Amino acid sequence: MSEHLPDTNYLDPKVLQSLGDLELVAREVVEGLRVGSHRSPLRGFSTEFAHHRQYSPGDEIRDIDWRVFGRTDRYYTKLYEAETNFDCTILVDASASMNYGSGKVSKLEYAKFLAASLAYVVLKQRDSVGLSVFDSEVREYLPPRSAMGVILEIDRLLRDVKPTPKTSIAKQLHDIALMMKRRSFVILISDLFSDVDDIRAGLDHLRHDGHNVVVLHTLDPYEINFPFKGTWQFDGMEGEEPLTTQPERIRDDYLASFGEYMEALKAGCVASHVDYTTVDTSRPLDGLLSEFFHLRQSTLNGPSAARP
Amino acid sequence: MSFLNPLLLFAALGVALPILAHLLNRNKVKRTDWAAMQFLNRSVRIRSRQLRLKDFILMCVRCLAILLLAAALAKPFMEKAEQVPPGIGESRAGVIIALDASYSMAHSDGTATRFERAIEKIATITENIHPGDPVSLVLLGAEQQVLARNVAFEPGQFDELLLDQQVSPESLDLDGVPETLKALAESMDAPQKEIYLVTDMQARDWDGQAEWLGAAFENLAESASTTIVPVLGGGDNLAITGLELVSGVLREDTVARYRATVRNFGNNPVTNVRVEGLADDITVDTKTIPSIAPGASETVSLFAHFRNAGPVRISAELETDSDSLAEDNTRRTVAIIRDKVSVLSVEGETDGSGSFIAAALRARGGQSGQENFSVQSVPWIDLPSQDLANFDVVVMQNVPDITPEQASAFESYVRAGHGLIWFAGDKVDAAAWNKRSALDGLPLLPAVIEETVSTSDALGVGRPLDPAMPDHPVCRPLRSLPEDLLSETRLRKVLQVKPAAGSSTVLSLVGTAAPVLLEHSVGRGQVFMFTTSADSTWNNMAVTPVFPMVLQQMVTYLTAREFETSRLVGDSLSLSYVDQPDASEAVFDTPSGDTVAVPVLEHRSHYVAMLDHARESGFYLARVSLQAPGLPVAVNAHTAESDVRSLAPADALRRFEGTEIAVAQSDADLGDAVAQSRGGRSFWFHSLLVVLGLLLLETVMASRFPKKRPKAKSNPTTETT
Repeated sequence: MSEHLPDTNYLDPKVLQSLGDLELVAREVVEGLRVGSHRSPLRGFSTEFAHHRQYSPGDEIRDIDWRVFGRTDRYYTKLYEAETNFDCTILVDASASMNYGSGKVSKLEYAKFLAASLAYVVLKQRDSVGLSVFDSEVREYLPPRSAMGVILEIDRLLRDVKPTPKTSIAKQLHDIALMMKRRSFVILISDLFSDVDDIRAGLDHLRHDGHNVVVLHTLDPYEINFPFKGTWQFDGMEGEEPLTTQPERIRDDYLASFGEYMEALKAGCVASHVDYTTVDTSRPLDGLLSEFFHLRQSTLNGPSAARP
Repeated sequence: MSFLNPLLLFAALGVALPILAHLLNRNKVKRTDWAAMQFLNRSVRIRSRQLRLKDFILMCVRCLAILLLAAALAKPFMEKAEQVPPGIGESRAGVIIALDASYSMAHSDGTATRFERAIEKIATITENIHPGDPVSLVLLGAEQQVLARNVAFEPGQFDELLLDQQVSPESLDLDGVPETLKALAESMDAPQKEIYLVTDMQARDWDGQAEWLGAAFENLAESASTTIVPVLGGGDNLAITGLELVSGVLREDTVARYRATVRNFGNNPVTNVRVEGLADDITVDTKTIPSIAPGASETVSLFAHFRNAGPVRISAELETDSDSLAEDNTRRTVAIIRDKVSVLSVEGETDGSGSFIAAALRARGGQSGQENFSVQSVPWIDLPSQDLANFDVVVMQNVPDITPEQASAFESYVRAGHGLIWFAGDKVDAAAWNKRSALDGLPLLPAVIEETVSTSDALGVGRPLDPAMPDHPVCRPLRSLPEDLLSETRLRKVLQVKPAAGSSTVLSLVGTAAPVLLEHSVGRGQVFMFTTSADSTWNNMAVTPVFPMVLQQMVTYLTAREFETSRLVGDSLSLSYVDQPDASEAVFDTPSGDTVAVPVLEHRSHYVAMLDHARESGFYLARVSLQAPGLPVAVNAHTAESDVRSLAPADALRRFEGTEIAVAQSDADLGDAVAQSRGGRSFWFHSLLVVLGLLLLETVMASRFPKKRPKAKSNPTTETT
C-alpha cells in the first residue's frame, strides 16, 4: 500500500501498514447496507457516477449496468458518489498550547500525524475527507473530497500550520459548522484547554447541525501526571503570566483540578452525544489508532447512537 | 593547632567543587513552556532572590562540610589545650606499655612478686586510656615480644591479655628496647603518644648504662612522652650459678665429680646452705656450705656414680624454702655415659714409651673398668691395618710421618666426631707433617710446626706450666691442683709452632707463653696437639699427676656428646645427623611437657634440626623422630638475672635527671605523669560529628531543592505497542 503513496510529511508507512484494513465506521451519516460499509441515506439524490464494480449477490438489480452486460456478458453495478461516500471533516487545533511536548514530539505534531493517518484511512475506504485547521480563527478549510490527491493538500496544510494563541474554541467550532454544507463526520483533535462550557457550546453547535462528532482529546503525559521535581518556571504558551514554583508542592492541587476538568469535559461530551477519547502523546500512534478503531467497532451503540 | 595527617588537608581543595557547582547552576531555575497553566496553583510561588539565597546557603553548608571533613581527616589536635573549654575536643593518646618479663621480675618479697606489682601499675595506667585509643603491649626479655600492636583499646580484652603473661626465665636485653619502642611509637597513629616502661630497674641493667643507650632513651622521649615505672623489691637472692664436670671419665661404673657454684647476691650473709646433687631426679650427693658472705660465691663438689650407660640428667639444687627467686635455685647438665671407650695409641717408636699413655688412661679405671675401657697400642707402621671407626680417640705420639691417604682418613675420622691427640717427639718430621696436615686448606693439626726449641735452663731444669689457664674442661682439674704440685711438671724441650687460625691454646709454658697444648675443631671432632713428647725424653710430665689428669680429661672431652654442654634459655637447640634421617622432622619435648616438631634441614651435606629459641629452663628431650628414644638437653636460666638488686629510687631519678623521661616512683607520680602527657586535645571526632550534622542539614535543604528531572524521549510514530 505504501509504495503508491505520494511523498508526504505526516503519513508514516509503518503506521499505515499496521492499520491494515481498518475502517472508520461512521454511524448516522452512513446508514443501511451496501456491499461495502456504508449506505447513504440520501440514495437517489446524487447520481454522479463514480465507477463500476462487479456484481455481488445482494446488490440492487436496478443498479446493474445492462450496457456493460451486453458488451461483456458480465454483471457490473454502477456506483454513485453520494451513495457510497460519507464526509469526514478533521478539525485540528493549532493553537499555541498544542505546541507543548515533554518529549521530542509536541501535541501539535502528534495531532498532525493523527489527522493525516485518519484522512488516509477515510480515503482508503473511498469516502470523502476534509480538513480544518484553527487557532484564534479558522486558518484553513479544505472541503471533503474523496480523490486520493486530497491527501497531498492535507499534508501541505498541516505542514504550513503556525501555532498562535487562541481565544475561544466555541467561536471556531461555530465558524467551522457554518462552513460545512453537508452533514458530516467531524473529528476534533485538540487539547481543549479552554472553558468547558465554551467547548460544549461549540460541540453542541456541530451536533445541532447533524454532524457526528468525535473528540480526540490530545494530551501530553506530563500534563496528565505532572511529574516535575525541583524548582521550575512555567511559561504560559498562550500569553499567561509565568509561574516559578516547586511542582511537588502543587502537584496534588494540579491533579485534582485537572481531574475535575476532565470529568466535566467527559460529562459534557456524553451529554452532547459526542464520542470522547483521550489521546496520550506518549503512546505509539499505530497502537492508539488500532485501539480507537476497534473501540468504535465495539461501541456502535455509543452515546451518539442514542440521539433521536 | 597541629594536624596528625597534614597531607590530608589537601582534601580541602575539594571545596572548589560545591563553589563550581554553584557557579554553574547559578540562576538556573529550570524552565519549561506549559500549556495547562489554568490548572497550576499560583499561590505557591518561589522568588528568584529567595532561590539565590537558599542556593548560597546550600553552597556555604557544603563548603563548610568539606573543609571540616578535610580537617577531621587530617586529625587536628592541640598540644597545649589549657585555654580550650572543657567538652571541646578529647584528651586522647596512643599508649605503648613495655613490661619487663625477665625472670628477676619473679622475685618475691613474701607478699607479691615484682611482676604482680607491675600488673597493678599497668592497671593504673590503663584506667586513663579511652576505649578505642591505640594501644601496644610489649613483653621485654632476651628479645622484645610485641603482644599487641596499635590495637584499639578494649579494657576487658587487654586485661585478659595481660593476665595471660608470665615471667620468662630469660635475662633482659635492654639494648634493643629503645629501638623497638621507638619503632612502635612511630608506627602509631595518635595525636599524642605515651610510653610506659614498667620494670624492676635491675641495677645490673640500668646502673652505668652505656652512653649510647642513654642517648637512645633520650631519643625515644622525642618520639613519645616516656615514663619509667619502677617496681621495686628486695635484693636477697641465693643462686647456683654453675655446675660443671670437673673430673672423671663418663663411662659405666665410674664416678664423676661435679662442681656446683653457689652465689649469695644479697646484702646479708647466708649460713648452712645445703646443695643437693641429683642424677635422674635421684639424690646422689648432698653438701652443706657453712656460710656465704654477701656478694661471695662458694663451690661444692658433688659426686655421681654412673652404673648404667646412657644419658643422665644431672642437677644441683638449693635446699631452701625461703629463697625469693626460685628460678636460679637449680642448675642442670647432662652426662652421657658410654658403655665402652676405646683408645688407639699409635707409637712412633717401640721402646715402650707408649706405656705411659696406657698407664695414664687407666690410672683410675680400676679392675672393674678394664672391661669397658680399652687402650690398644700399635706401632705407627701398622697403622694402615687399623679400622679407625672402632676407636673413640686416637693418640699419636712421636709418629714421624703419615701417608696422604692416612692424613685424609684421619681428617674424615675427626670430622665424623672423633678425637685425635697428637704428641711431638724426636722422630717427628716437621716438614712432612706440615705438608700432610695442610690438606684441603684446613690443617689437621692446630699449628704449623717450625722448629724444636729447648726450654731448659742452665741447670737443665725445664720450664713449668703456666698456672693461669683458660676455663677449659681439659685443664679444669689442673686449676684445683696446688701450685707446687703443678710446678713439678717441667718441660725441657718443645716444638715452636705457629698456631693456625681458629685454634686455641689450652696449656702453655710459664714466662714464654709458648703453647704446650693446642686445640681446634675439625668438623664435629676435635684435635689436641701437644708440642712436647708423651714420654720423659722432653719433659717429666708423664711421671707427674698432671699427665693422667689431662689425658683422662681429654678423652672425656673428646668422647663427649653434643648435648652434654648445657644451654641457656634463649639459645637454640640443634640436633645433628651424620646421615640423611628417615624422618623429616625432629621432635623436642619441652620441660613443661609440650612437644615441638622441627623440620630437618640440609646444610652442606649435614642434616640439622634446630629449635630456634628455648623458652624454658629445665631438661628438654631431643628426638630424631616421634618414636625414637630421646636425648636430654639441659637448659639453664641466665645467671645475670640472679642479681636482683634494683636501682635505689634516688639513683633512678638521678639516672634520668635533665632528660624528658619521667620516673614515676609512686602511683601519685604515675597519675601526674599521665596528666602531664595528656595536655593536648584531639578534635577529629568532634569535627566528624559536626560534618555529619552539616551533611544532614545539607540533605534536608537539598531535598527541598532537588536537581534536574529525567527527561523522557519518545517518538510516537516509530515505537510499537
